[in-house]
Amino acid sequence: MPNLLWKEWHEQSWKLGFGCVVLGALALIGLHSRIVADETMMMWVSFLGLTMLPVLSSTGLVPAERGEGSLESLLALPVKPSRILAAKTAMGIALCVGPMLVAAVVSLLAAGGREKPDSAIIAFYASSTVATLSLFIWMLALTIQLPSEARSALLGVGLLVFWMLATAALAFPPSVPRLALAISPFALVYGTAQQAVEGQSAPLPVPLVLAVQVGIALALWIWASKRLSNLEGQT
Amino acid sequence: MSETPVIQLQGVRKSFGRNEVLKGLDLSVPPGQTVAFLGRNGAGKTTTIRMLLGLLKSDAGEVRVLGLDPQKNPMEVRRRVGYVAEDQTMFGWMRVGQLLSFIAPFYPTWDREWARQLSDRFELPLKTRVRHLSKGQSVRVALLLALAHRPELVILDDPTLGLDPIMRKEFLRDLVTHLQGERVSVFFSSHLLYEIEPVADSVVILDHGRVVRQAATDELRSAVRRLVTPLEAQTVLRTLPGVLDFARLGRQAIVVVEDIAAARPILAAANVTAQEIELNLDEIFEAYVIGRKEGADAEPALERVA
Repeated sequence: MPNLLWKEWHEQSWKLGFGCVVLGALALIGLHSRIVADETMMMWVSFLGLTMLPVLSSTGLVPAERGEGSLESLLALPVKPSRILAAKTAMGIALCVGPMLVAAVVSLLAAGGREKPDSAIIAFYASSTVATLSLFIWMLALTIQLPSEARSALLGVGLLVFWMLATAALAFPPSVPRLALAISPFALVYGTAQQAVEGQSAPLPVPLVLAVQVGIALALWIWASKRLSNLEGQT
Repeated sequence: MSETPVIQLQGVRKSFGRNEVLKGLDLSVPPGQTVAFLGRNGAGKTTTIRMLLGLLKSDAGEVRVLGLDPQKNPMEVRRRVGYVAEDQTMFGWMRVGQLLSFIAPFYPTWDREWARQLSDRFELPLKTRVRHLSKGQSVRVALLLALAHRPELVILDDPTLGLDPIMRKEFLRDLVTHLQGERVSVFFSSHLLYEIEPVADSVVILDHGRVVRQAATDELRSAVRRLVTPLEAQTVLRTLPGVLDFARLGRQAIVVVEDIAAARPILAAANVTAQEIELNLDEIFEAYVIGRKEGADAEPALERVA
């Protein structure tokens, strides 16, 4: 396992640096210049992270390696596919959490307590990070058999748009039970935004949303690990 | 060492969608032998090899490697088998030394001293990135990775693909040199028969998903013959058992038979004098996979040079 993590780190660490620099710089410049309200700027930073990080991480981990042909070399080693995927997932989580953490720290340093209390900033970035991780797992699972980064990026963007629309659909019609919103990766972000903008209470309890999201992530991951070693399409 | 076959396949079938790649494959590889697994591109060689490593599941039939089912014990099989894939792609950013350090922990039997010796003998540049290696060096790295954990069975899937003839010879020399006396079984897939003729103890010929012949190399060379007779004898030629190829060339009829010992009495009884020509393995392989086998009851539509 340590050597698998070492490999993933060497292959993906530049993306971690890239994500940290982009989100950190945007937060710093945007909050320092005060061209818009702090809350709006943090939403922009968060939206950029939400859209960029899951696609950036999920496409590079499996589809890129499948496309290059090195995945077969990895799968032919005496190591369980679930371990290979665990190392890749750990790196993907780092890719999603790292830049969000940097953005949160920069935001706290640049604008903590200015327009929003620190706790609200932390809650906002925490909910965005959960959404980013959830989207990453969805993309990892759905793109695991694709043989190129380009195709998986397209699917990733499609998935992002799907969940945005689905969240809107689940949130607004009164006929849909509120509980259904918990399945959306954006459930916590929606709740935080609603609290911030409209001063309402969160539509769903946070522990419930987290439990549902973790359950979905685990199911998707197990499904993905079973499909990782599938070479049926590569004859 | 037990005489249990290192590879045993019985009635193995595999389809991809509607394309049936393996149609009831039977083969057996005894321990300590170098077996050439021959077939044209698309014959099912790579599919078979992926099944041996547990990378693909058969639709039907039984697969055993070193007595184990690769689907049920893939880790154990892969620990005991050395594998070089067709056009193997490794991690281009790694230096050769890093690649060896990355792979070694996966194998409990990895022999560092043996790996160092092989790397010296293959003259591998340990500080060079894998992506900067020549094709010949890449294949040698793959061979080193397949041998350094001292496997009981080495599976090579067309490893010399893309190498020039001299490099192919060097690769085979390396392979033979380093496995001599080790009693390691080698299962070597190729479509270039002449290159493995000198090293193969036996040959398995795969065609359209079936094994059409498995025999010791010497036995195959002595059994398969080309017969040249006057055209008038073609009726008799078509009654011969095991006709692999039938052709007419001017006033001559030419057949390739897979068992000359069975053909001789029939020719003698019919009072046909035939010129017997020995074939090399390349020609034998060609007769099996592209020969006209309808000789017994069909008139050849076209005259062809055998």
